Amino acid sequence: MTAYPLPTPRRYLALWFPFLPAERRERAATEAGVWPADAPLVLTDSVKGARRLAAVSRKALKLGLSPGLTLADARAAVPHLLALDHDPAADAALIDRVLDDCLRWTPLVALDPPHGLMLDITGCAHLFGGETATRERVLHRLRGGRFTVRGSIAGTPDAARALARFGRVALVAPGGEAQAVRPLPITALELSDETTTALRRAGFKRIADLADRPSAPLTGRFGTELTTRLTRLLGREDRRITPSRPLPACVVEQAFAEPIGHADAIARVLRALIERACAHLEERGEGGRAFEASFLRVDGVVRHIIARTGRPVRDADTVTRLFRERIEALADPLDPGYGFDLVRLALSVTEPLESLQPDLDGKAIEADEVADLIDRLTARFGAVRVLRFVAADTHDPVRVARLVPATSQMPDQGGGRAIASASWMRPEPGEPPPRPLRLFEPPQAVEAVAEVPDGPPIRFRWRGALHDVARAEGPERLLTEWWRGHDRPARDYYRIEDGQGRRFWLFREGFYGGDASPRWYLHGLFA
Amino acid sequence: MSAADSYAELVAATNFSFLRGAAHPQHMVLTALLLGQTGLGIADRNTVAGVVRAHCALKDLRADGVPPPEKLRDGSGPGEYVFVEHPLTGKMPVSRDELRRMACDFKLVVGARLVFADGTPDIVAYPVDRAGWGRLCRLLSIGKRRGKKSECILRVDDLLADPSGLLLIVMPPRRLDGLPSLLDRLASAAPGAVWLAAAMHRRGDDRRRLARLRGVAGAAAVPLLAVNDALYDEPGARDLQDILTCIREKVTIDRAGRRLEVNAERYLKRPAEMARLFRDAPDAVAETQHLLARIDFSLDDLRYDYPDEPVPPGWEAADWLEEVTWRRAAMRYPGGLPDRVKAQLEEELALIKRLQYERYFLTILDIVRVAEDKGILCQGRGSAANSAVCYVLGITAVDPAENDLLFARFVSTERREPPDIDVDFEHERREEIIQHIYEKYGRDRAGIVATVISYRPRSAMREVGKALGLTADVTSRLASTQWGSWGNEIRDAHVRQAGLDPDNPLIRQALGLAGRLLGFPRHLSQHVGGFVLARGRLDELVPIGNAAMKDRTFIEWDKDDIDALELMKVDVLALGMLTCIRKSFDLLHRHGIGDYALHDIPRDDPAVYDMLCKADSLGVFQVESRAQMNMLPRLKPRELYDLVIQVAIVRPGPIQGDMVHPYLKRRAKLEDVTYPSPAPEHGPADELYQVLNKTLGVPLFQEQAMRMAMVAAKFTDPEANQLRKAMATFRHVGTIGHFEEMMVERMVRRGYERAFAQRFFEQIKGFGSYGFPESHAASFAKLVYISSWIKCHHPAVFACALLNSQPMGFYAPAQIVRDAQEHAVEVRPVDINHSLHDCALEERDDGALALRLGFRQVDGLGEEAGTALTERRGLGYSSVEELARRTRLPLRILRRLADADAMRSLGLDRRDALWAVRRLPNDAPLPLFAAADACELGDEPPADLAPMRLGEHVAADYQTVRLSLKAHPMGMLRPIFAAERIATCAGTSAMPNGAAARTAGIVLVRQRPGNGNAIFITLEDETGVTNVVLWARLFERFRREVMAARVLLVEGEVQKSPEGVVHLMAHRVFDRTEVLKQLSDTHDVTLELSRADEFNHPQHPRGPSSHPRNVRILPRSRDFH
Repeated sequence: MTAYPLPTPRRYLALWFPFLPAERRERAATEAGVWPADAPLVLTDSVKGARRLAAVSRKALKLGLSPGLTLADARAAVPHLLALDHDPAADAALIDRVLDDCLRWTPLVALDPPHGLMLDITGCAHLFGGETATRERVLHRLRGGRFTVRGSIAGTPDAARALARFGRVALVAPGGEAQAVRPLPITALELSDETTTALRRAGFKRIADLADRPSAPLTGRFGTELTTRLTRLLGREDRRITPSRPLPACVVEQAFAEPIGHADAIARVLRALIERACAHLEERGEGGRAFEASFLRVDGVVRHIIARTGRPVRDADTVTRLFRERIEALADPLDPGYGFDLVRLALSVTEPLESLQPDLDGKAIEADEVADLIDRLTARFGAVRVLRFVAADTHDPVRVARLVPATSQMPDQGGGRAIASASWMRPEPGEPPPRPLRLFEPPQAVEAVAEVPDGPPIRFRWRGALHDVARAEGPERLLTEWWRGHDRPARDYYRIEDGQGRRFWLFREGFYGGDASPRWYLHGLFA
Repeated sequence: MSAADSYAELVAATNFSFLRGAAHPQHMVLTALLLGQTGLGIADRNTVAGVVRAHCALKDLRADGVPPPEKLRDGSGPGEYVFVEHPLTGKMPVSRDELRRMACDFKLVVGARLVFADGTPDIVAYPVDRAGWGRLCRLLSIGKRRGKKSECILRVDDLLADPSGLLLIVMPPRRLDGLPSLLDRLASAAPGAVWLAAAMHRRGDDRRRLARLRGVAGAAAVPLLAVNDALYDEPGARDLQDILTCIREKVTIDRAGRRLEVNAERYLKRPAEMARLFRDAPDAVAETQHLLARIDFSLDDLRYDYPDEPVPPGWEAADWLEEVTWRRAAMRYPGGLPDRVKAQLEEELALIKRLQYERYFLTILDIVRVAEDKGILCQGRGSAANSAVCYVLGITAVDPAENDLLFARFVSTERREPPDIDVDFEHERREEIIQHIYEKYGRDRAGIVATVISYRPRSAMREVGKALGLTADVTSRLASTQWGSWGNEIRDAHVRQAGLDPDNPLIRQALGLAGRLLGFPRHLSQHVGGFVLARGRLDELVPIGNAAMKDRTFIEWDKDDIDALELMKVDVLALGMLTCIRKSFDLLHRHGIGDYALHDIPRDDPAVYDMLCKADSLGVFQVESRAQMNMLPRLKPRELYDLVIQVAIVRPGPIQGDMVHPYLKRRAKLEDVTYPSPAPEHGPADELYQVLNKTLGVPLFQEQAMRMAMVAAKFTDPEANQLRKAMATFRHVGTIGHFEEMMVERMVRRGYERAFAQRFFEQIKGFGSYGFPESHAASFAKLVYISSWIKCHHPAVFACALLNSQPMGFYAPAQIVRDAQEHAVEVRPVDINHSLHDCALEERDDGALALRLGFRQVDGLGEEAGTALTERRGLGYSSVEELARRTRLPLRILRRLADADAMRSLGLDRRDALWAVRRLPNDAPLPLFAAADACELGDEPPADLAPMRLGEHVAADYQTVRLSLKAHPMGMLRPIFAAERIATCAGTSAMPNGAAARTAGIVLVRQRPGNGNAIFITLEDETGVTNVVLWARLFERFRREVMAARVLLVEGEVQKSPEGVVHLMAHRVFDRTEVLKQLSDTHDVTLELSRADEFNHPQHPRGPSSHPRNVRILPRSRDFH
């Protein structure tokens, strides 16, 4: 565990992405080439039944479309605008990823909603060439992702935020906050609309108009909120940020005076760190779900490798094996360059894990082993290659079973996308099974003789053998799912038993008397 | 077809099984008929809402041999319908006569599918006779009254309590476990009237299941009945039915899975096919005929009587009506009854007696009397309302002596159309009348008529898009494309215009499905005010259910159903102008000016007509729209009947029929008024004169079109009826061609010139169903006159009443106040020491009345606060603290008052007042200070706030009271515009015809009327208004400016008509909204568009919060030029 030194005075870099929701969609679309990049984009939300703009792109803003407008009004004014659904969750996920990326500059990064981040860069800036250079590098990196971003550095988070969002000042020297925020409009206080209007009605337009007034009459009229905000904005009061990414539950690291580069050495160090981490977990009665190994090269390049598990783990061997498989499967191998001077292992997700007594029937162990196997196979081959069946909600016998990544249905899997699982079709009590367990794909053509128009086959030939139908039931008419676009004739399915007691699932595609004569297929065998 | 193959589908749903059934009732009937079924049983889920349509469809088929067009509402005014023809019209597989014959042999039975809340399988119930129908309706009413709106909570015990007169078909559930015991219970409750249904839906185990059902039925000694449980008419409707399922289940189609039907078998099948499917049980097919034969009930059996209440004991209705009429006539004409009126009364009474409408008139009289007692203004309108009887009874204020509207002309003896009287009440007090009706007649005898809410282009597109999983954007784009009217196919060009690819299969599919969903009922809602009152139990006539509104119940049938069954209803409607007039009368009384009632406003006052001829009609009923104001100087009304025409002429019917210009020419004596005559042997030469003389030979009213067909082309009643239907769908050349020939040839044969006959036909064709009825226009004209009279002679009173009746009418308070100021009324600002909650009148030193704005004008100030301010004022408030202490109003309210600049009488302007109010403690006064009732605030050094500039005040005025008495924003900005040599509105109006002008102003109204060739924009500045016309072509170029600008600069050419109507034909427009920043750099000036603005209020001008049911305004007026 590392303690971070906390020198004073503190310095903050506030970042703001004024068009984040729109730019996120634009970036995704441009990458996919979905729509012309020049259309003004707006994102809409339903507010009391009316669709209103929740966020707009820079281009849309220039055309006078601002959040709060109804979509109908916006479209009336700018018919060629492009409107998509506002998706705050996806925006939050994006800002979350940006936050992760910003951890390279400082571990103390907080979300600063809406669409902003607050970096405590106290003591970090010199690593990147000073505050001005740090700001430049941060902004440069983020703009590379095609995002509009504004950033200001100041001595309090509030001043930095206000300057980034309402001003044009890049950097305020320590102690200069009060002077720097004076020209800002009073909206920079971010008070309620009602209070902001009241302040304007009283003739206060800029922070300067308030800054020099005695605070008692202001507090009496506009609430303590105003004076608190004002004090903070003027840099008279500091406020610590709470980093959004909790410092990892457990961090172990090993620094080297002499950089290491040999694979064996790296493996040894990693193994040692894993053992230390697992010991911590043992003590806490927890298991890890995500293990992140960071390899810091002497030239400043950092390589992160993450191993995730479907269930909490604290077995050093398992974790080591996962890392080994991850590292072996890397597309671009771990390049030590001039060597690593620090290796760090962080456990970002942990969950309680009690030591379990195996059940007598061994089922729990079996389940564990299957889960274990799935983890290993998934780590080696990727989630899309290790699959399992789930039931789909459809009448179509072919589509009724669906393959999904095996990890996606693991028990205790938090988050992630829930797989819509339908129940498997079961026969009613006392009824025969409606469908064979396995189907031929594609169905096998048979020759059949049947009574028109919709009688079951009397006999049919399959793989050269002739089957006389002893018993039959049907038809069960199944149609194509018209919304999928393919236009296939209806199928009439029959359950057939031949003279030997073998049971078949046959269908006739099309009808007698139509343009094309119908054809018969065997789709499956009943057990 | 052998008798053995006879089959009738007895379990058929329609689309009134909301979001389940996928075919209109009319289509179900026609399809069953064409398939050769012997009958059809319509049974929707816990409702009989669709059966009247099925019934009428069959009646029409029997009479005409042509499927009836579908009638869809296209607006909320009288006559705003669109008719859509049946898709098979014109390509029917059998001849008309054949179809007529088949229809006569076809038997329609109606009932309901009872869906129980207690897990009992569905049971379809058909009444065998009128008593059975009553029982079914009561059963459904019980279920409906238990639930919320649109719910029906039924239990099997409700049915078992008394199932007599009902035939019951049990629909077996998938698992048959509980079935035998249910059948036993039913069979003992309703012996010989229970069937067990069996269907063959190709589910795989059909035959095994049939055998099993047969066993169950046999054990219970109940016959098995072959059904197909149809959800739609033909198998192609499967996709639409799937979409309905998705809408119902709120899922997209690819997630709907097994909630969808497994296949498309639930359509109406041929009898032979049913016989083949049921070859294991032919008796089940034959049973359909037995069941059908048992039923001896048709909706024609429903007879209906008006209540007895209005007739005092010992009197016959007819005698009593006569008695009351003569008694009241004497009161109405204190100077003696004119002979003409006496003769008319006698004639009308005789007609009423012959048609037995006495109770109808007495019932309306009863309602009107209640309103009189409560002091609520009301007025009747409609065909029967234009009678001398209605005038003397006080139902209308239109004096037949003043106006020769003939009642007999509109109530056709032969057709026996029910009489039509709509009564308008003050909109704020109508609910009292409604509750009185419920109270007096009871909820089992009084009910509001339903309105069927149907899918319209937008909603259909939206729902289909959602179900198909299209993104909200694509869906809303599709929904916003211009569809044209109902039933029209959406054109590829429109889709492209919306930026979408019409060839995209998904888009195609969505468009196709939405087109088919159009006109499907979504749910039932209550009508704006149509009441059905019954002598006996109404709930034995039709089921009654709860409305969403508290204390309201409504029946399942809509206005058309009621009309079709010849039931009578009374429309109890709300009219804002009556509220305004009532408030005006009260003010006139209170200020000692006079006591007036609707019928005793001085008549034919030239000053009133002078005012109207100048188009000085802001706020006046009906004629205040821009289009009406443009018409007034051209039409130059001089008498009441001119106003009747004025009301009706600015409507789509006369405009599309091109009757406006001919009428105006004749009126201006630029064209001779002629009346073509038939050859002498065919009739009197003045037969058309009789119909058209009051409109100078130009048909302007709906009644005239039909009347002309009957008089000039000798159409019989049924023919005229068919013509009316055909006219509505005239785009289908086939049907209208038939009538064209019939009409033109008949007229020619009778000696009319062919050219005239042809032109006349074109005219009434254009008229379609969009004409406006004279019978309504007459009553409206009276209110136009009354409101004009008040405005003309008492502008302060009128403005005050209008403000106090808001929201209503076309104009926002800012324009009403401005108009009052222009009429030399002093308007005083809201003030804590002077205002009441409502706007009020104050006497000036010179005796004139000044208008004092009330607290109601201040945003966010409720009536409670307004009343508290007034009641605790005493001798006045002298300081902010005293105000707070005495009123105990929450700080929020005091802040609003200060913000509204309502404390000037304390010597505080807005800024100072706010500074003072904000200092007040946030919570209730400290107990110690409260006890001492003393000031708890210490001294404070002066704040030295910068004074507020006038521009900021004006901006803040608009934010808080939506108008400013201090200055007009444009007036403040005048130096800027003057420097740019931009003319004022007044300056522009003064320019000669053809002059080039540049004018800027605040955008008041934007309208895109009729065919959409031009956009009308009204600009306002401190000197007046300018009416701008922008051609559609230019609109596309300047769309953003027009749609977004609050201040617009227009360059164009002045056009002046001989009557002095000025338009500015725009060449270029500029958005100058940014100049408002000059008023105040921090306060946005929120300028309100008038409620007439069509882009903001695409439907009708109506209050932001009022429900459409509370207003019923005339059909949207269409501007033209």
